[in-house]
Amino acid sequence: MRDRLFITTMLLPSMVLLVLFYGYPIFDNLRISFTDLSLLGMKKGGNWVGLANYRELFHSGEFNHILFNTFIWLTATSVVLRLLFGLGIALLLNTRAMRVLRLAAVSRFALLIPWATPPIVAVVIWRFLLERNGFVNDALIGLGLISQPIAFLADIRTVWPSIVLIMLWNTVPLIALSLLSSLQTVPEEYYEAAELDGATSWQTFRFVTLPFLMPAILVLGLMSVFWSFNNFVYVWLATGAGPGTFTNVLATEVYLKAFVDFRLGYSSAIGMVMAVVMGAFGILYLRLVAQRQLEETL
Amino acid sequence: MLKLLAAGLIASAAIVGTAGIAAADPVTITFRFNDTEQEVRGAIDEFQKQNPDIKVELQRIGWKDARNQFLREAAVGQGPDVAHVAQVWVTEMGDAGATLALDDFLQKDPPPNGFADFAAQDLAHGKDGKIYGLPWTTDTWAMVYRTDLLKEAGIDSLPTTWEDMRKDSEAVYKKTGKAGFGFPAGSSASGAMWFLANFYWWSEGKALIVQKQDGSYALGLEPADVVAAMNYYKQYMDGGDNPQSNLAASDAHDPAIMQALVSGNQAMGAMPPNTYKEILKAYADANPGKEPPFASGPFPHQPDTKSSMIGGRMLVINANTKHPDEAWKFVKYMASQGVFANFYRTQFPAQNSLLKQIDFGAPLKGFAEQFPFARTWGAYASGPVPIGTLWNATQRAFGKALSGQVSTEDAAKELLAEIGKQMP
Amino acid sequence: MAATGSRHWRDPGAWRLIVILLFAVVTLFVLVYPAIYVLVGSFRPGGGLLSSTETLTFRNYLRIFQAGFGRFIFNSLVICVVATAVSTALSIMAAYAFSRFEFRFKRTLFTAILFGQVFPWIVLINPLFVAFATLNLINSYVGMILTYTAFTIPFSVYMLVGYLVTVPKSLDEAAIIDGASRWQVIWMIICPVMLPGFVATATYAFLLCWTEYLFALAFLTQTELKTLPLGLYQYFGDDYVDWGAVMAASVVTTLPVFLLFLPIQGRISPGRVAGAVK
Repeated sequence: MRDRLFITTMLLPSMVLLVLFYGYPIFDNLRISFTDLSLLGMKKGGNWVGLANYRELFHSGEFNHILFNTFIWLTATSVVLRLLFGLGIALLLNTRAMRVLRLAAVSRFALLIPWATPPIVAVVIWRFLLERNGFVNDALIGLGLISQPIAFLADIRTVWPSIVLIMLWNTVPLIALSLLSSLQTVPEEYYEAAELDGATSWQTFRFVTLPFLMPAILVLGLMSVFWSFNNFVYVWLATGAGPGTFTNVLATEVYLKAFVDFRLGYSSAIGMVMAVVMGAFGILYLRLVAQRQLEETL
Repeated sequence: MLKLLAAGLIASAAIVGTAGIAAADPVTITFRFNDTEQEVRGAIDEFQKQNPDIKVELQRIGWKDARNQFLREAAVGQGPDVAHVAQVWVTEMGDAGATLALDDFLQKDPPPNGFADFAAQDLAHGKDGKIYGLPWTTDTWAMVYRTDLLKEAGIDSLPTTWEDMRKDSEAVYKKTGKAGFGFPAGSSASGAMWFLANFYWWSEGKALIVQKQDGSYALGLEPADVVAAMNYYKQYMDGGDNPQSNLAASDAHDPAIMQALVSGNQAMGAMPPNTYKEILKAYADANPGKEPPFASGPFPHQPDTKSSMIGGRMLVINANTKHPDEAWKFVKYMASQGVFANFYRTQFPAQNSLLKQIDFGAPLKGFAEQFPFARTWGAYASGPVPIGTLWNATQRAFGKALSGQVSTEDAAKELLAEIGKQMP
Repeated sequence: MAATGSRHWRDPGAWRLIVILLFAVVTLFVLVYPAIYVLVGSFRPGGGLLSSTETLTFRNYLRIFQAGFGRFIFNSLVICVVATAVSTALSIMAAYAFSRFEFRFKRTLFTAILFGQVFPWIVLINPLFVAFATLNLINSYVGMILTYTAFTIPFSVYMLVGYLVTVPKSLDEAAIIDGASRWQVIWMIICPVMLPGFVATATYAFLLCWTEYLFALAFLTQTELKTLPLGLYQYFGDDYVDWGAVMAASVVTTLPVFLLFLPIQGRISPGRVAGAVK
């Protein structure tokens, strides 16, 4: 009984805040998605249109393209690469060699820089670095890899990799630092025991390090998927969803419909669809990948 | 006798006292001005000096978000008393009930030269005919040129037709290797292709949205017209005189384009006066003492057609304001000749009488020449489809066409179909 | 087993050192060069973008501070520090409950917290704005702090649960048998051991608040309440962008983060953690 009270006290403040800040707007959005509310008509309110917004969304020719962009490029590619690079950097920073070279502390400091840079500044900087007379082109030409400058953010062959690059620069530090924290909780004896058993580096990694990191990787992976899927700023600030509509993703579509076309009802419908898609993904993810982890930990 | 005196003293003290209190209670109004503060600081200080009972609090929001923010706030009873808005927003804001109708004020307390003196009046009216904003500043776009690059390419006069412009741009590219007409060909929602496309159509006497005799609105273009504009600009991309990387630039003030003009890597550009002034300033900073090799000229047009837009800003009064009279006083003051002459020098006033009094200076001559051949958005703003939507759709269509993602015929058809869908 | 010897099993050989050095240098360069670009640009007129002058000047910084940037720093600090503190505290509480107890709805609540994140933020703005306007929370520190706390809790809780489960429940139970209350367990046992995890979580929360733009834009319209990202975005004008100011503002926005976190980062020492868990 004592425990019950304790648990409630521990959970209540967070739950209350979440209900107010997530629950209420979500329900309001659900309501709005069935209307044709416009930003210009906020005082009057919108008219009920039922599922018209949703029907329009699914029948719009662009929907598949936008979905592909959001799923494959914005989310899958960036998250997988993010985890790989984050893991790599964390492992790098944790090696004894780094301490010998006295680079560990400097590197941790260096990781803070991209992370603390606001997205708009990150995009602005990289837009300049990727310009036709910017650093990246100069370097590539100097190294003899290309002969003509590449318009990274304008060429449809390179625009998505460029956007992903910017996202990685801004988000890998978080992954790296989190995994580094986890890595540092691995007790030394495990490594010593593995060495005594004659394990190779790869085996040590696979059977000692990785299990320790799994919970963190799964958590970060899922969270990264949510953030990336819903992300708006990177695509918007880098290319404005262009060239044409090539890099349009769901979140930029929401922005366009809500704040350029003023169609709040329609954009709420898109928002709900995004939430449902992510919800479904989350459930699948937990069921297939993280179920065991969750059960063990919870 | 003493009693009378005492009573008189007390009475007068009371009167003076209350009068003093009434005078000492300043009304505070908020003014949201969306460019840099120093442009209007002097004017505001002067206003507060002249009106000690009114305090003006300055606010600021970037232009990209100014409209949404104001609409949101007005809908819930908040927002600044006086707001600095784009002239094309006023009609819809008035209709949405976000701004106060100014007709009463204009009748009782009109500006010195009367309302008729203001440019862009058509955009200040709501659908109910009432006036919802006071035009404040105006500007237009024009072409700017690097005279030294033109000379190097053997061109000694500024182009006056669209074909000449292309020929000159090509000549510069072929003879000097530098970019010719480097325009931002990007497709972001509020980019520059919208302007360039419309200027091309207007110069031919056509327009995307027109208002017919009977007051209804219609599309004023055939697919062939759109294709013509797209093909025209695509020439620059295909010929290389507009570098491919400009597909990633959407604003006239894109830093890469500005830098190209400042450093002499580009010969021609299209932009509003403020951007041009920044370029001149950057050139002067980098080359102190040298005469800036720049000139400006209007977009090609025929004697009876327009080829640029009269853009501008208006001042509106929030419908929720608690101090309408003070707000109007401030608005009237800010639109007065004194303010433009002494304090607010970075923009052109939206009153014809005041415009005539300005000396533009040699590099900006092109803008002065453009004004008589510029038109307001007119039917675009008062029509059924929001300008933002038209803008966004046009940007995307041109983006697809110029980048080669789709053929110009398909892009043109798509654009007209999409807009047509939203017309009643 | 020689526990302390000068020949540690992981002493790297020369090749290994070189390879690692190479990777490290490349990584560091990619991470840091863009920031140096901004730092240098902030001392150039026009941010060094419009012309290639080599002059260095403080004018950009003067300009932004004259425009009241100092005030923005203060606002951001107050809002973000308080929001981070509250959010981390509440998240620790919730995470502790999730990691130590079994109770009805546990799975549901946990999943609900996680799934709260599936919603794109832009769509949440309008309803919250209307609600805040009614409650008079527009243009208030309290409103922003509550907002930021609410939006950093889900990830913080998830992160913290991940950390807390690595601390065996036996530790807690041992302490309780010794007569400690739950609160004392948290304060005296969990906190010291989990400090790296807490710091990482708090860092994440702080940075999320510090660079947040959408909600600050909607909820803070009075100049003296604005936060740093708003101050930064203001320099993106309609006709031109004041690049020098943008760069200077970027540096000013990023600098305090270092000053705050550098001293703390040093406190993360693996030895402590290992020893405590033993």
